Amino acid sequence: MSDPAPLTTDHPGQAASATPPAPGRSRRLSDRGLAVAFISPALLLLLAMSVFPLLWALYLSFTDYSATRGGPAHFIWFENYTAILTSAQVHLRALTTLIYVFGAVTLQTVLGFAIAYLISRRTHGRGLLTTLFLVPMMLSPVVVGLFWRFMLDAQFGVINSMLGSLGLGQVEWLTRQRTALISLIVVDTWQWTPFIMLIALAGLTAVPKYLYEAASIDRASEWFRFRTITLPLVWPLLLIAVLFRAIEAFRLFDLVYILTSGGPGVSTETLSFHVYKVAFLGFNTGTASAYGILMVLIVIVLTQLYLRYLNKLKED
Amino acid sequence: MRYPKRIGRLSVPGRKVQLATAAMLVATTVAACGGQDDGAKASAPKAPATIPELTKDPLTLSFIWFDWPPAHALEAFANAEYKKERPNATIKVNTVPNANWHDAIFTQFAAHKTDFDIPILDSQHIGEAVTNGNILDITDFVKTNIDVKAYNPYLLAAYGQFPQAETGKRDENASLYGLPLLGDTWTMIYRKDLIGDKPPQTWDQMISVAEKCQTDHPGVSGLAFHQANGSDAAAVTYNTVNGVYGGNLWDSKTRKIDGVLNDTAGQEAMDVLVNKMKPLTAKGSGNWFIDEVNAAVAQGKACIAFNWIAASGGLLDPKQSTLGTTREQILDKLGFATLPSQKTNLVPLGGMGMHVSAYSSKTNQAEALNFMKWFERADIQKKWAAAGGVPSRKDALESPEFLNAGPFNQVYTDSVPRMRDMWNVPEYARLVDIENTNVNAALNGAKKPKDALDDIAKEQQGVLDSGSRKGGGGL
Repeated sequence: MSDPAPLTTDHPGQAASATPPAPGRSRRLSDRGLAVAFISPALLLLLAMSVFPLLWALYLSFTDYSATRGGPAHFIWFENYTAILTSAQVHLRALTTLIYVFGAVTLQTVLGFAIAYLISRRTHGRGLLTTLFLVPMMLSPVVVGLFWRFMLDAQFGVINSMLGSLGLGQVEWLTRQRTALISLIVVDTWQWTPFIMLIALAGLTAVPKYLYEAASIDRASEWFRFRTITLPLVWPLLLIAVLFRAIEAFRLFDLVYILTSGGPGVSTETLSFHVYKVAFLGFNTGTASAYGILMVLIVIVLTQLYLRYLNKLKED
Repeated sequence: MRYPKRIGRLSVPGRKVQLATAAMLVATTVAACGGQDDGAKASAPKAPATIPELTKDPLTLSFIWFDWPPAHALEAFANAEYKKERPNATIKVNTVPNANWHDAIFTQFAAHKTDFDIPILDSQHIGEAVTNGNILDITDFVKTNIDVKAYNPYLLAAYGQFPQAETGKRDENASLYGLPLLGDTWTMIYRKDLIGDKPPQTWDQMISVAEKCQTDHPGVSGLAFHQANGSDAAAVTYNTVNGVYGGNLWDSKTRKIDGVLNDTAGQEAMDVLVNKMKPLTAKGSGNWFIDEVNAAVAQGKACIAFNWIAASGGLLDPKQSTLGTTREQILDKLGFATLPSQKTNLVPLGGMGMHVSAYSSKTNQAEALNFMKWFERADIQKKWAAAGGVPSRKDALESPEFLNAGPFNQVYTDSVPRMRDMWNVPEYARLVDIENTNVNAALNGAKKPKDALDDIAKEQQGVLDSGSRKGGGGL
């Protein structure tokens, strides 16, 4: 009769260590060593590609270093930060970015939730509809920018052609101050509404059906059910989607570059686009690093405040 | 027996990992700091006076340029002709979008490693490349190998000399960093069938002819020109009108822009551009550049247009035009002329020179110098002209090979003595961006013309004066 195998163990991994090591495995390589060996490639990659560049940019942000001029980097401490925070040019770009983020994310949230709500009420073809709505999100922003640029062209674009056939006049979508920013918001909304829709749809399908059944027994109206059941349960999930989108929109570069190049003038230049110009037109690497670090700090601080609000909402 | 885990102290392997990580970060930082010393030199390294021995092994000589017809023409021409003398050499002209041209070259210069041997720089980029030590000083090489007297001195200076040539005269004592590859300037393209065979002679006349043409032919705009805020599009347009109306971009001796650019002549030029020329353009043309202007001409949507000569070849292609089914039919409708004059007869200098990357291998640098010597030969310049290129040698400019190759080539030859360039200073990229964005804003109603011009002068002056400023450079 053989010995009975242990039923439980304090450390699941120890059960394996009772068995003889596989042939060829070094006796000195413990489980922990093995774990370190496995995670070290990813860790090294993370350090080399993310942590080091961030620390290096932080160091450069306190200097007057220029990547093309070369020469030693002189410490100027917080002078880059002071110049950025007091620059009227930066304030202008910050305002443009704020209007853009607010406009785009609000529109995407309303539309995304509305589409998700309508899809969730369908019983047939829901999967197909969801897949179709997700297509814009899967495209490269550069491709999206290029074909919208053609569509919005005042002379040859299909949008103005359609407006013309309806008897409406030509609109200068990309070359007027107001319409250029609106065009950017519309194109971003076209591409990223599906993201909000997807997350809202996940929230909507997770709402327990018995709540609606109870409400219909009480003869609650559609609006009452939406206001007291659907929205409160989906709201926290929707807020997380809004957070992701707001961070993405804050970093907007590609659509601006392709659609308007920041124009007319600098009226659609976002903060990211301005950082690009500072970094690559004059190769002011120190200033651009400080600019980038400040943008990261703003995102971190706002995200922390937002997450606290989310936690508070959860506790309530 | 289980021992309680000690709190606040890592196990030995954990500490080792942390120590190794810290050591790696320190080592990488030190290595990166050490790398900066490479860039301490602030002047261009010298190329040898004579061409070193060339390799007999297969070799690829790489250029970098922006994507337009002359880039493809150069690759085809060089591979067909240069290979006859150097069968082991292959020419590769790498192209990038026009808007990325400067960045694509200078980000590689910043890395002190280039995948190209011959960067084709805009004439105004030379200052930035020279002061950063990115391209070779070829003064001695030119003295030994190139017949400089064969060139129009201003073209030789514009595409190779630094500091910049003033008033169109070459400084014999200045160093040379490049040789001409492609000359260029604006041509006026006009519809002979709409405004007559004779092109307008003055700028004011041109505006009134365009106005009449627009009124007489609904659906066709009076003018088409560059207005975009990318590259140097809107800036070249304003600088052209500024020159024609007697304005100056700056006082190069005192490095003064504010008060010079926005003087009375400058204000008049901005007024003409925004209030007289812009109303004659197509609606929504505020982001037009080379391709859009060509498209408007080819589709018969403009009475008079301005474009770079080197980019005008496609206008004669019946496949791209609605003006005729043959080249002759198109030429019955399209005319090409030098720009009208007004208070002066200045025209913008376009085109580019060839340079040698300081970070290319010695073998490829030697091949690059050999290519430049070959390319500047009289017979090769004439062949290049016949292949669609725009040469800079005087004999090639007057040759039938060049003058018969395109209807706009005579325009170039006639325009050479009238050329004016922009500022050839290391701060060029920022100066042109300031001008581009503000002129574009004025053209599209985002700024009043006077405010835009004053902002250009003030901001550009700020860039030139910012040498002693410590923080916030580039804002």
